[in-house]
Amino acid sequence: MAVAILHRRIDFRPRNVAGVWMRHYVAFRGGWLVESTAIVLEPMFILLAVGYGIGRFVSDIAPGLTYQEFVAPGIIAGNAMWHALFQCSWGAYQRMQTHRVYETMLTAPVNMSELAAGEIAFGATRSLMTTAAVLVTAAALGLLGSPWAILIVGVGVLIGLVFGGMGLVFASIAPSSHSLTLVFTMVGTPLFFFSGAFFPIASLPDWLEPVAWALPLTPAVHASRGLATGEFGLTHLYALLYLIGLALLLYPLATRLLRRRLIV
Amino acid sequence: MNASRQREIELVTPEHTRQMMRRRRNGDSPIVRAVGLVKRFGDVVAVDGIELEIERGETFGLLGPNGAGKTSTMRMIACVSPVTEGTLSVDGLNVKSHSRAVRDRLGVVAQQDGLDPDLNVRENLIVHARYFGIRGETARRRADEMLEFFGLSGRATSAVDSLSGGLKRRLTIARAFLTYPELVILDEPTTGLDPQSRSRVWDRLADLKAAGVTIIMSTHYMEEASMLCDRLVIMDHGRILAQGVPDELVRDYAGPETAIVRPLPGYRAEVLGWLSERGHSFQDSGAVFSVTGSGGQRADLTELRHVTIFYRLSNLEDVFLNLTGRELRDE
Repeated sequence: MAVAILHRRIDFRPRNVAGVWMRHYVAFRGGWLVESTAIVLEPMFILLAVGYGIGRFVSDIAPGLTYQEFVAPGIIAGNAMWHALFQCSWGAYQRMQTHRVYETMLTAPVNMSELAAGEIAFGATRSLMTTAAVLVTAAALGLLGSPWAILIVGVGVLIGLVFGGMGLVFASIAPSSHSLTLVFTMVGTPLFFFSGAFFPIASLPDWLEPVAWALPLTPAVHASRGLATGEFGLTHLYALLYLIGLALLLYPLATRLLRRRLIV
Repeated sequence: MNASRQREIELVTPEHTRQMMRRRRNGDSPIVRAVGLVKRFGDVVAVDGIELEIERGETFGLLGPNGAGKTSTMRMIACVSPVTEGTLSVDGLNVKSHSRAVRDRLGVVAQQDGLDPDLNVRENLIVHARYFGIRGETARRRADEMLEFFGLSGRATSAVDSLSGGLKRRLTIARAFLTYPELVILDEPTTGLDPQSRSRVWDRLADLKAAGVTIIMSTHYMEEASMLCDRLVIMDHGRILAQGVPDELVRDYAGPETAIVRPLPGYRAEVLGWLSERGHSFQDSGAVFSVTGSGGQRADLTELRHVTIFYRLSNLEDVFLNLTGRELRDE
């Protein structure tokens, strides 16, 4: 009985989430050669330039770690963020406002909650792809100290869910495509560089340290590093719980804001 | 020619009919019923309490100047825009409470094509079919049928942006008919198309109409409306001004023939005064006056001097202008 009532109230078709995901997959497949440069090559350039270029001049960044070993999980996490953020903010805005693709989906029997879930799911898929690609490279270069590093793939997916949801929130409130530049200049870039990916958070001024910890990429970098080194503790678990909480918060928010914008 | 047309119709009908029969709820009730339907955007009243009953299988037209409320009405029927007041049902289902079930039955051609530029022509159809639960081989076969029917087979793997406006429109219409809809909503399906593309779209719509699909369309082309629509409404300022069968509307609101009265140079004001004085119903187009009436105007007009007059059959455009006037609308 209770199940029946619940079933009646929650009208959610997982098949539509798969349908929206499939739309993104088909679009991605159409441009796979170009896409793969962003997924595989771009993070590798950063890894090589920063890790080996700058890394040669850096010693004792963290106990027992070379600089390359220190930045590798950070670059993986940061890159996972960029992919989901781009897919669900700029990409989503184009689909919504410029090409009216969302309207087409909504005239079909697709509900906003499914559309948003499909968007975020593909953002997470992109994060997964790039995380896996860079992880393999980092492993080949011997930058991962622990077999637990394989689980960074899961962190990558979580990062994708968080930043996919966040990107969609930005897309749904952006007054113009131009204003979305702010997502990259004022959100993506500061998060990328102040997340502890390139230097320890502890080296920031005292007052900035808690702020940096609250930024959503910081726990992701922390958890990834914990898995890469194999020294996974309670703080890493908290970091993951924080990310899960954010993802659970941002998805319904994005759905609600999209409804407000599009259902008039 | 005839034989190939016949084959194409068969390509659409049997499965389509079966699908429609399967979902049909109340076979006899009107497929769309609106009672006191209102749409407001803030203080702006887009639709101001209209009543509609659209029968199954008919092609129903919405005519009116820009801003008349046609698009708002269609968007409410398509469940993409919430109803402000009144009730609206499609196939006996309230659009508010059963939006999803209504959308399961619809095909929609919006004013903007809403085609996906990241997908090729065929993928646009296959991806869309999936939202209706049509997948895999079935979706591919159905997409190919639609591409053939709409003359797009040769462009199946083309980028959408490489298509001309006419081809894009055809693809959009193909997408609407792809999913075995019971009701197809077309918002200005031929606006911006050249005459060849337009007549091609008309051909296809006539075929689909023959296959028994209910069609609701808005248009600015009176010729299109008279040719395709079984019934239509003329709207302005969110209200319905007149409704009926096109020929009857012409008879009732413009009469059988329209006189085109051209004043000789210098006599415009005088002719205008005379027409007003005699109580004729006419449209002032600047150079000429179009005088409509129930047929009696011919005798009266013989008394008018300093003009040249010729007569033509009245048409829907005369009705439209008589009802909505000549002033330009913004939007």
